Amino acid sequence: MPKKLLMGNAAFAHAALAAGVRVVAGYPGTPSSELVETVAALHASGAAQDVHVEWSTNEKAALELLAGASMAGARCLFTCKQVGLNVASDPLMSLNYVGIKGGLVLFVADDPGPISSQTEQDTRRFASFAKVPVLDPSSPEEGFEMMGYAFELSERHGTPVIIRPTTRINHASAFFDVPDSYQARALPPEGFQRDSKWIIFPRRAYQAHGEINERLPRMAQEFSETPFNPCERTGDGAVRGIVAGGVSTAYVRDALSSMELPAYRFLHVGTPYPFPTAAVRDFLNGLDEVIVFEELDHVLEDELLKLAGAQHLDVRVHGKLDGTTLARGENSTEDCRARLASFFGVEDAAAAAAAAGEGGTAVEPPVRPPVLCAGCPHRGSFYAVKKALHKQPAVLCGDIGCYTLGNAKPLDAIDTCLCMGAGLTMAQGFHVAEPGRKCVAFIGDSTFFASGLTGVANAVYNQHDVTFVVLDNSTTAMTGSQPHPGTGATLMGGQSAPLDIEAVLSALGVGLVVKANAFDVDEAVSAAATAIDFAGPSAVIFTGPCIQLVRPDASVTVDEQACTGCSACIKALGCPAMSMTSVQGDPDEAQDAAPDEQVRNVARVMRVDASLCTGCRLCTSTCPFGAIKKGGAPCSTCS
Amino acid sequence: MLNVLIAGVGGQGSVLASRILAQAALAKGWHVRTAETIGMAQRGGSVLGHVRMGNDGEQVHAPLVSRGTADCIIALEPGEGLRALEYLSATGLMVVPTTGIPSIMTNLAGSEYDVAAILQELRRRAANVAVIDAQSIVEQVGNPKVLNVAMLAAAVHLSNVRGCGLRGCITLSELEEALAASVKPRFLELNKQACAAAVASCDS
Ligand code: SF4
Ligand code: SF4
Repeated sequence: MPKKLLMGNAAFAHAALAAGVRVVAGYPGTPSSELVETVAALHASGAAQDVHVEWSTNEKAALELLAGASMAGARCLFTCKQVGLNVASDPLMSLNYVGIKGGLVLFVADDPGPISSQTEQDTRRFASFAKVPVLDPSSPEEGFEMMGYAFELSERHGTPVIIRPTTRINHASAFFDVPDSYQARALPPEGFQRDSKWIIFPRRAYQAHGEINERLPRMAQEFSETPFNPCERTGDGAVRGIVAGGVSTAYVRDALSSMELPAYRFLHVGTPYPFPTAAVRDFLNGLDEVIVFEELDHVLEDELLKLAGAQHLDVRVHGKLDGTTLARGENSTEDCRARLASFFGVEDAAAAAAAAGEGGTAVEPPVRPPVLCAGCPHRGSFYAVKKALHKQPAVLCGDIGCYTLGNAKPLDAIDTCLCMGAGLTMAQGFHVAEPGRKCVAFIGDSTFFASGLTGVANAVYNQHDVTFVVLDNSTTAMTGSQPHPGTGATLMGGQSAPLDIEAVLSALGVGLVVKANAFDVDEAVSAAATAIDFAGPSAVIFTGPCIQLVRPDASVTVDEQACTGCSACIKALGCPAMSMTSVQGDPDEAQDAAPDEQVRNVARVMRVDASLCTGCRLCTSTCPFGAIKKGGAPCSTCS
Repeated sequence: MLNVLIAGVGGQGSVLASRILAQAALAKGWHVRTAETIGMAQRGGSVLGHVRMGNDGEQVHAPLVSRGTADCIIALEPGEGLRALEYLSATGLMVVPTTGIPSIMTNLAGSEYDVAAILQELRRRAANVAVIDAQSIVEQVGNPKVLNVAMLAAAVHLSNVRGCGLRGCITLSELEEALAASVKPRFLELNKQACAAAVASCDS
């Protein structure tokens, strides 16, 4: 069996399958999504036997489903990104009291930076708030080991267990030896057994709280004896120590490998909660000073301070709280090395070595933020709503997904973005506070089902005069094209009847629901105008598939004789397939240029990159000179 | 330790390029780690792929290359090469294509994307820069999607010729074996053509 290069998330999936996981459910969110996708792919190929895998409607639905499956005895895995745990926090808090039967592991990916998230929240904090143990791997390999242990720990103590990798673990790849196929662990013959403990009455909660308080110290003791909190000792008589958790441990290891330091101890904490006090107490013995490297919150630092205080240890703890390490964002090898050098009072030799690229910056690279793809249907939807609103005062509420990118110029079509589904309800708040404005909320199809329905019901119930714009591109695009209830495709390979967004909106009592093709400017503008003018809750559904799902049409072409270089098209749409290009820069070209071109004196024309253009034709109506023409036969090179 | 970065724009295939390199490293028995940009930046934003290979038998811990330590930067786009320049070591090699991808921000600002100025800046600030005529390679092969593999082949070949960058640690035939293990069989021939065209272009 050759070794396979697996992304961290894929490795976690294999580890869970190796542990006999039977039910896997989650909601997509960067950087967590590839775990469920890996399980689904292995299931589809027949390599994951008797496994059920699904994208649930949202995180809360996923965790509740798993609570049931676990009570029947199945090993269960939940996946989400850090903010997804906010959505699933309601079931999690009570589930820890009620307890589980089949091992239940929550794979929650944190995102220091943040790179693709709304917050820099720390799931280790969430774990201690929920009184649930959490494992924090420093590499995909350690995470692989932790997964099997987590299932076992969960069943031994009757508790949900969280594994929280961070982006650099989720999306780092390494080679793994993995088997060809997996078999889910069978359910216990008795299955679910009725018991009063499964019902969370206040009396039961009081009793369960006692059980939780008893098992946490037992787990802390057990953690001290696991291999997940290794301590390295270099030299004799060390008085300085280093503590690190998560990927920071890898940065510190690399930094240490290039440094000459006096005697030190280095502790990696892979089980931050409940804190492995015994192991850490042993590590601290004889140390005067400790520096702590961790991302997001100062969780380890707090625990060390607490331990030092409780046990009257004469040790100073440095980290985020006293500004010794970075208070937010990501750590890095070079940052850890610089801070270690100053902590130990040595010179940072590597920083002194000159890097390439010194010598002043004369030319800056182009600013290149992420943009809506060429041919994205959302571009047409935003354009239409802005046109329909014209100069009316309005608030445009956005939401979570690719369409958050609608905030960028030139579309400039989003004023707010808070959390999944919030746009629909925030628009209602704006309307209550400022009834004179048009309040429009954009929401994607997947987000609509994940957290939009309650907001729609609220608007109908309380009669808020808002307009919902559902951007239906038939997928969960931002996280990599996952199916959802509106598509009907399931990860088990089946196809259920797609939930019809139009019917759902009508059934919920939205007074006016119109539908339009996002690429047809006239149809889209008139649909948007009708909905915005309607008194009471109204909705427009813009349809147009995500470009990741369909084969492109032939590129549009630009009649360079007709183009005046006014760039009206680019300023209207900002499609990345378009760019302004000089036609006189090249002397050869100038010689060849037709005489009338010289007369027109056009310095630049708009050109379309045929490899990016999907032929959506949205731009054809934006040129006042009719210079953009629809293309001919579809291009065959990329098919 | 060999540190390599692949700098491009979302959608250019930097992930495949790093997987091929990792595969070559595995075949040599080296410990290797890669890291990718996944998520919002993939929508046409800047993406950076990190490949770290323990060619002297070292263990690789951190998934990311540190600034000033990249032995080789494989730029798939000139502006992205310039953005990644701070990662290049003083003696590192950068391969960069002649073809640029304009940024919408440049267009909106009413200016034109000046690839020549960027290439000149790269030459000025880095010791080893190889500008590859990617347009003609892509045209020869007849498919724009092979740019990633062509640039990878150019990096491997020039490293061997010049003794910098990957420092001759990976041969072209080792690269082709890794390619065979990493791409779908029906795309293998196309990618091999891209390698050959890239090598020929470097030598011409
Ligand atoms: S048709 Fe126009 S708007 Fe659509 S992808 Fe092509 S250039 Fe962009
Ligand atoms: S294509 Fe039309 S809108 Fe675009 S720059 Fe040329 S003349 Fe202006």
